[in-house]
Amino acid sequence: MPGDDASITVELEGRKIRIPAGLTVIEALWDTGHDVKRGIGCLSGLCGACTVAYTERESKKVRFGLGCQKVMEEGMNVIMIPCFPSRAARYSLEAPENPLEELRELYGELYTCNDCRSCNVCPEWINVAGVMRSALEGDYEAAAAHVTDCVMCGLCASRCPRNIAPHYVALYIQRSLARERPFPPNLRNRLEEIESFRYDGEWSRIAAMDDGALKQFCAAMEGR
Amino acid sequence: MYPRDMCDSIAVVDGTREKRRAEAVPRLAAEEVGALLARYHPDYREAAFRNLRVGVNRGDRTTHEIADLLEAFSDLDHSKIDLRPEYDTDVLVLGGGGAGVTAALFAEGMGSRVILATKLRLGNSNTIMALGGMQASVHESDSPVRHFADTMAAGKFAGNRKLVKTMVEDGPRIVKWLLDLGVDFDRDGEGNLAVKGAGGLSAPRIISIGDYTGLNIMKVLKDQIRQVDGIDVLEFSPAVELTTNEFGECNGAVLYDLGRKRHFVVRARAVVLATGGSGRLHMQGFPTSNNFGATGDALVLAYRAGARLEGVDSFQYHPTGIMFPEHMVGVLVTEAVRSLGAHLVNAKGERFVNELETRDACAAAIIRECGRGSGVRTPSGAAGVWLDTPLLEEIHGPGFLKGRFPSLYRHFMRVRINISKRPLLVYPTLHYQNGGILIDEKGETTVKNLFTAGEAAGGIHGRNRAMGNSLLDIFVFGRRAGLAAAKRKYNEPGNVTLNHLYRYYDRLKSLRISSTAKSPTLFPEFIVTKL
Repeated sequence: MPGDDASITVELEGRKIRIPAGLTVIEALWDTGHDVKRGIGCLSGLCGACTVAYTERESKKVRFGLGCQKVMEEGMNVIMIPCFPSRAARYSLEAPENPLEELRELYGELYTCNDCRSCNVCPEWINVAGVMRSALEGDYEAAAAHVTDCVMCGLCASRCPRNIAPHYVALYIQRSLARERPFPPNLRNRLEEIESFRYDGEWSRIAAMDDGALKQFCAAMEGR
Repeated sequence: MYPRDMCDSIAVVDGTREKRRAEAVPRLAAEEVGALLARYHPDYREAAFRNLRVGVNRGDRTTHEIADLLEAFSDLDHSKIDLRPEYDTDVLVLGGGGAGVTAALFAEGMGSRVILATKLRLGNSNTIMALGGMQASVHESDSPVRHFADTMAAGKFAGNRKLVKTMVEDGPRIVKWLLDLGVDFDRDGEGNLAVKGAGGLSAPRIISIGDYTGLNIMKVLKDQIRQVDGIDVLEFSPAVELTTNEFGECNGAVLYDLGRKRHFVVRARAVVLATGGSGRLHMQGFPTSNNFGATGDALVLAYRAGARLEGVDSFQYHPTGIMFPEHMVGVLVTEAVRSLGAHLVNAKGERFVNELETRDACAAAIIRECGRGSGVRTPSGAAGVWLDTPLLEEIHGPGFLKGRFPSLYRHFMRVRINISKRPLLVYPTLHYQNGGILIDEKGETTVKNLFTAGEAAGGIHGRNRAMGNSLLDIFVFGRRAGLAAAKRKYNEPGNVTLNHLYRYYDRLKSLRISSTAKSPTLFPEFIVTKL
């Protein structure tokens, strides 16, 4: 970028290299000729495919982020860690009366959580440890309320010393809660209308219209 | 943080906010919209198009980028490939986004064995990037007929009536399916599905899950795929060619194993092509909101196999793609921001279009402003206009943006821009392929046993797609394609050949077309443009 210092020195996938300033991790990999595909997805910070681990200059801490969002800085040392493995339970949501009561059976390791908070590395800034705490205490609504933004990158699971996969646990809670909610009345009404052929008269009138008549009909409908 | 020049321009936006709030920008009459589009919309820029010289749609207009791919040979060395199938299945689904996964789930539900192959990871798709919501006529003031009328009008009456009717009628049913799977759509106080308005809609019809709608639906669908027995998923295996039998019917595909760098064949009784759109071809040099894999492969594969395309000269340029900071160029700002009252503001601090005009009209108006020097320059020399997000905090109260658009808020906080205090610089971004492979109500193309769903399919959205209709489209036609494909279970697939391809190549050669381009593209060439 004009006005910025022209280039910085970083360590990319174990290789010390000079790159232009202002590139994201993925752009830096491309720019230096790395043929990266496996860790690339939406390039918008939404798909969670491009997880990276990095250290910053003069810092002891290993940090985590998304490669399409993290902008490279002088002295950074970065590698990609896509597709971290974690166990997803198999279940059928239709079978149990109350699926949330199955949580202990499906994800028993959750109950070994000692709140060490190692999982709080979320690139979406979710307080993962807090979500797991809520889940342990049975406050499932609180747990679900905080994971709408989860992109399933799995970084939290990669940090857990107890092999908990917080993203899968949270997703199970989300799905179970959604199934417990009463069926929405407005949707029920509309489905009943459709099933009782309420709109068939209008549809047959539309079917008989030529293009001009259809345009008029639509304009009238939109109040123009 | 914004550089100094841009901060000066932001001061103009701040200084004119009071005045702008007091004035109304009238909606354009139909003729005015027509004139605006004809002059400024990229679809009307004649030099960007040419007529196809080969294939079913010979003589039809499309962009140079797509014509280059359709009039090209493949990278695949056909003489060296073993066409004996490595896998044999009932239904082969190509594509791991919303349409593909839905098709796979419904086909499996019918008792078919399904293989789902995808270029990247399962779920890496534009579906997860559909932030704003999905249309479904569930509000009491709304009806499927109203939804039909809005969709036809938004598409300039170029959409196929039967397909539009199918989509809007199936809408409420597909919402029920998603709810049953455990998709948690936002509710109002009475437990109804909460609905919002959007540009070009005559009733509130957008249902959503915060500002992460597509992502949260996709998470559930991916989870569901793991729970069923009959679906095998092959990741990092893009399709590079369809295969046909001696009757020209589709019976499988040649896939490329990216990890092991080798080709292999999957034979199937029916194929569902759901590999999405073509934003990464960067039509006319526009930035795109699309994911890495959206390179128009479906068009190439289906066209060589003899399928008719429809409306591939029409694209949606979403008016509000980010222009600054550079690494976010092209990323979408959801239309909901405009629906809720944010102004589009030029460098002089003026509004220049009613923000509730349809997407194509808003995009054309922004291009007009930037073209006549009323745009705001970025450090790299690109131009855009301001989307006045701080105004939303004034209208709806402090903290509104953070609460209502948490992901947008966070994405900008990462680069130290607080969108409740600073506006966003935007410019139209290539967002959606309005046309595609022509389908019927079952989702079948003009090639037997080849089905298509999602953005790859054409005929539904006419020449402009309304907000929220793509999420609906992928589930409705994904389901239909999956069900119809499953019914081909007793087909005899026949021998796997590439005869359609040899015929197509002969035609190219006889027209003396010797393109050096190779297709399908699979992955975009990335040129980092900041140097």
